[in-house]
Amino acid sequence: MHLEYTPEQDAFRAEVRAWMEAHVPKEPLVTLECREGYDQHVEWERTLASGNWGMVTWPEAYGGRGLDLIQWLIFEEEYFRAGGPNRANQNGIFLLGPTIMEFGTDEQKKRFLTPMAKGEVIWAQAWSEPGAGSDMAAISSKAVRDGDHYVITGQKTWSSRAAFADWGFGMFRTDPESKRHKGLTFILFDINSPGITRRPIRQLHGDTGFAELFFDEVRVPVENCLAGEGEGWNVAMATAGFERGLMLRSPGRFQATAKRLVDLYRTHEAEASPAAREAVLQAWMSAQAYAYNTYAVAAKIMAGGKIGAEASLNKIFWSELDRSMHRTAMQLLGAHAELKRFDDGSVNQWLEGYIFSLSGPIYAGSNEVQRNITAERMLGLPRVGAG
Amino acid sequence: MDMLLTEDQLALAETVRNYLAGTHGPEVLRRLDADGNRDPAIWQGLVDMGLTGLLVPEAQGGLGMGLVDAALIAAECGRACLAEPLVDTAFVGVPGLLAQGKTDQLADVAAGRVTLPLSHAINPWVADGAGVAIKSVDPMRNLAASANDNADPHLLNLGALMSAAQLVGLADAMLHLAVEYAKIRTQFGQPIGAFQAIKHQLATCAVAIEFAKPVVWQAAQALQDGRDSAAVHVSHAKVAATDAAILTAETAIQVHGAMGYTYEVDLHFWMKRSWALAGAWGSRAFHLKRVDDAVLGGALPIGPEHTFA
Repeated sequence: MHLEYTPEQDAFRAEVRAWMEAHVPKEPLVTLECREGYDQHVEWERTLASGNWGMVTWPEAYGGRGLDLIQWLIFEEEYFRAGGPNRANQNGIFLLGPTIMEFGTDEQKKRFLTPMAKGEVIWAQAWSEPGAGSDMAAISSKAVRDGDHYVITGQKTWSSRAAFADWGFGMFRTDPESKRHKGLTFILFDINSPGITRRPIRQLHGDTGFAELFFDEVRVPVENCLAGEGEGWNVAMATAGFERGLMLRSPGRFQATAKRLVDLYRTHEAEASPAAREAVLQAWMSAQAYAYNTYAVAAKIMAGGKIGAEASLNKIFWSELDRSMHRTAMQLLGAHAELKRFDDGSVNQWLEGYIFSLSGPIYAGSNEVQRNITAERMLGLPRVGAG
Repeated sequence: MDMLLTEDQLALAETVRNYLAGTHGPEVLRRLDADGNRDPAIWQGLVDMGLTGLLVPEAQGGLGMGLVDAALIAAECGRACLAEPLVDTAFVGVPGLLAQGKTDQLADVAAGRVTLPLSHAINPWVADGAGVAIKSVDPMRNLAASANDNADPHLLNLGALMSAAQLVGLADAMLHLAVEYAKIRTQFGQPIGAFQAIKHQLATCAVAIEFAKPVVWQAAQALQDGRDSAAVHVSHAKVAATDAAILTAETAIQVHGAMGYTYEVDLHFWMKRSWALAGAWGSRAFHLKRVDDAVLGGALPIGPEHTFA
């Protein structure tokens, strides 16, 4: 264990910092969950790509820089230090990208990764269905083989970014006789294909980020299938591992929130309760613990290891940390907490963040499911319903 | 920058884990509880493994290892609820003496001939020391009254760090005991561990434990490196490990139901050690105050770019 960065890592940090300071928008962007904000965030993705910062860990051939996970963490730390906007393409770069890297053909890597890194194609995810939420193996949307195409019919819901995104990925049932985890195939599709209808869903905060997707005999080329037909569940589990385990929520995000919370506490110190003070300290401690753990996971992966059931622990930890930090901020803000904008006209980011944090324990697999996974796969307790 | 525990470190910890699992199981704890809680044969086994000399420099007959190695083994001592004063002597006392340049006792410590009872102003007792006996809730702890005029901050950090390391091992063991019980205890026609009400509580303990561990290892390295910020990292580790252990202790007894409230079930040995170490070498409040002074006091830079400040 070494707690010192190398001179090369320090130099890399300085390079990221300088670029971020010069390019991160001075004013916060409009929320990603509306047309105007989405367009601003896509523009930001392209600005990032202009500096070759789209996804630093990817090979240069696919629009990356070929850097390691420690450098990625340094990049993320500097990104959040600078107050970088949310990544419009997080479904692509953090979830689908690593999955394509693991399961995709060379042709698929060339075709999908570079435009993803460059922010030219923005990705939505399409996991859930009305009857398949936490129970993802209950997926019933069908993809029927017809020559060189799949013909997709069915419905997806809670599809993040699908209100405005270009492409989507999800699992579809290619074997009509199959049940549960078998007979599912991971397919990438152009959301503007004939036969797809998107219906944006108004979210808790009033804006639209996710959407329902209706598929009516949508023809998708067979080459858009990732890994083999019927391999969908294994691919999806790998994607979920990236999502919960490492990439989706890098520690810098929570360390930045913890720092802002410390600053907020200082402005409310006179009237704050000792309990609020302890909650603020707990925020710093937990964000730091999350960072140490992520560095340890990164080191493990770099040494040839894989993310296992600990991905579920991770997801529980960051989502509940985020909610509790924002809850503390709402308590500190008191009568100002409900205001959408403060007296100086600035957006109440704590309110927006609190509302968003309530989705954390739900998306990417509800925390109840994560606790089941932890109990069954890591601790070895009997499966639910087992006698 | 590398948060990886090396294969050598993990292999050594596993060796100690297996040794203690084979020689220091619950039946041994029961024997010690009934017949006197120190056993020269157990101590000699630890000496023979080289553990008393783990941090003693090679020149004095030790292995010359570091605090991360020691913390990993302290966790194993917690997991086994080890009664002998190995951690105090070899992982707190030895580095405490080394920091003061005092090496004359180290060869005897490495050889297992001498233990180092540690007196410090933060504790109202000295463990395994001479003096008027004071009774601990933990039947394996031998406490004596102490003058406690030593306020050495480094010794305090070492004691707190190694308490934290033992606490994560204790927490692991209590989680394991609860899981094993939940697998075999049947009610309503199924093992109680199949009920989500049980699963989710145990999973919550696993989260707390797994996120306390890297805090402890990081603090060990920071203290080993002599970082200015080491004290706050040690305090963070003590708070995180204490919280994980106390949560797991309370959850484990709940999962055991009425059996958990008996002296017959093994769990209580680990719970009582956890209560003892939670307060030893600085209470949660003491260590939270040190975090407070550093974070809200502004001495420690915080934010995403200061992960390892």
